[in-house]
Amino acid sequence: MMERRPAWSSAFAPGVLQTLRPVQPIDDIDREWAWGGSTGRGIKVAVVDSGVDAAHPAVGRVDGYVAISEGPNGLLYDTEPHEDTYGHGTACAGIIRSLAPECEIYSVRVLGPRLTGRGVVFAAGMRWAIENGVHVCNLSLSTSKRDFFGLLHELADQAYFGNVMLVASANNMPVVSYPAVYSSVFSVASHDLEDPYLFYYNPSPPVEFGAYGIDVRVAWSNGGWFTATGNSFATPHIAGIITKILGKHPDLTIFQMKAVLRALAANVSRGAGRAHQVPLEAEEDEPSLDCGKVGGGSP
Amino acid sequence: MDDNPQAGDRDTLARAQETIARQAEEIERLRRRLADERFAEDLREVLTLVAAGSTIASPVTHSRLLEMIVETAARVISARAASLFLVDEEAQELVFEVALGSKAEEVRKFRVPLGHGIAGLVAVSGQPMAVSDAERDPRQAADIAQSVGYTPQSILCVPLFYQDQIIGVLELLDKEEASSFSATDMEDLGLFANQAAVAIEQSRINRNLEALLSEVLESIGGATESQRQDLQEHARAFAERLEEDAAFGRALDLARLVQEIAHRGENELKACQTILKGFVEYLRLRPESASELGAIL
Repeated sequence: MMERRPAWSSAFAPGVLQTLRPVQPIDDIDREWAWGGSTGRGIKVAVVDSGVDAAHPAVGRVDGYVAISEGPNGLLYDTEPHEDTYGHGTACAGIIRSLAPECEIYSVRVLGPRLTGRGVVFAAGMRWAIENGVHVCNLSLSTSKRDFFGLLHELADQAYFGNVMLVASANNMPVVSYPAVYSSVFSVASHDLEDPYLFYYNPSPPVEFGAYGIDVRVAWSNGGWFTATGNSFATPHIAGIITKILGKHPDLTIFQMKAVLRALAANVSRGAGRAHQVPLEAEEDEPSLDCGKVGGGSP
Repeated sequence: MDDNPQAGDRDTLARAQETIARQAEEIERLRRRLADERFAEDLREVLTLVAAGSTIASPVTHSRLLEMIVETAARVISARAASLFLVDEEAQELVFEVALGSKAEEVRKFRVPLGHGIAGLVAVSGQPMAVSDAERDPRQAADIAQSVGYTPQSILCVPLFYQDQIIGVLELLDKEEASSFSATDMEDLGLFANQAAVAIEQSRINRNLEALLSEVLESIGGATESQRQDLQEHARAFAERLEEDAAFGRALDLARLVQEIAHRGENELKACQTILKGFVEYLRLRPESASELGAIL
């Protein structure tokens, strides 16, 4: 007998309904549970930016490329290896690599010299990442053009349901920019504590997470290094941490990941009711912490 | 029993520490408020000047406006040098409009392809950036700065947004008495840049409109010199009141109508003037009703 159900309800029918594994109670989550022993292996991270310089020692390896530009008859997708037009994408990739040394990095170049129609190209870069099996997508750029609100929102929703974690920079300027303001993304702004693993949760979004983004030593093009400030550099810290967590817990959904991050945030009070201070000494056992600190002389 | 006085001392000490911490917080809050107020005052000052400047709406004033913006930004954020670039959409270049520093004249109208150095990145990414201690390859960060003969240690660069478009970038070089620009500097300069972008665009609109109206009036052959001067005055006064793009669009329409009428002949122009004058006189005499005030709001 044909069972009658309202639209969209078939996923909840007997025999179709999936059984899922329970998650650790949130109160018990600590860094060891979240990413202890994880190097981000098996996790694909797209850096949608100005390109990534694979030759930079901070990056080490790039596993795939796509450079998107506008051609006379539509968008062009070039999957040949490319360079970084500015250094900005290399900076982001270097931070992610330092936190998740064995993750796969994919350079999705949407910024380039003489770039026109960048909102469209930017959206195409996001779409490429979402539709090509990437797990985490670092978006240290944004557009404030209202024209792109709908298009980028649709992509952000597609990413959410596809469990592609979009980590997006909030603009440092007092302007609204997309996709950082969407609730489905991990939006990031900066704090100035020199600890790549320390982040805060903001209970009054739109910006949900604060990570190390002020006076950060970052890789740049031509093998160079900078000390730079910007939410652009806070974002890959959260992207790197998410990559590490996914390396150990690949089944986590976006809302679970947000709950995990919130539980690990340095401003979440625990136990005796005082603000939780990150036990820095506990990090000495963390194998990738050294990599996390980019300082100490360029190679 | 001996423990109690010690416990009391500890409590007193803890309370004292709390008080000191609170006072320190309060002092910091006051310091910030003062700084904010000073910043707001500077901002008001420059915008007042901008408003005054736009009433003249000449090319000289437009460049003076840009200079004032750069000077104010450098003063408020305590930077040793500063520059302002506007985007040339067609050429996909940044045009150096103002540079504060010894080689300012040399670099005026210097052009940089979009995608060059920090300013180029900020212009395409829309994300402000602060850089300090450029190592290994300082040219990458400071290529433009070097062209003015100045190699900075630190850079703060923010985009100039107007109606969702990046119309330029504002770049400050070397923070006074500090190794780098702070996140607060970035925030302040961002706020300032938003105001500056509005002023720049409005000044540009006024300038364009006046040039257009002058052209239209020049083309009116039938009018006498005094009539033309009269119209010129009206056009100027009209340009001064323009504040938004929508108004600019309406003015363009009006100017085109007047031009078309003038081309038909002297009699048509006279008729047009009579009608317009009559309408203006009627408007002046007509009492304002509540609903009209509502419409204005």
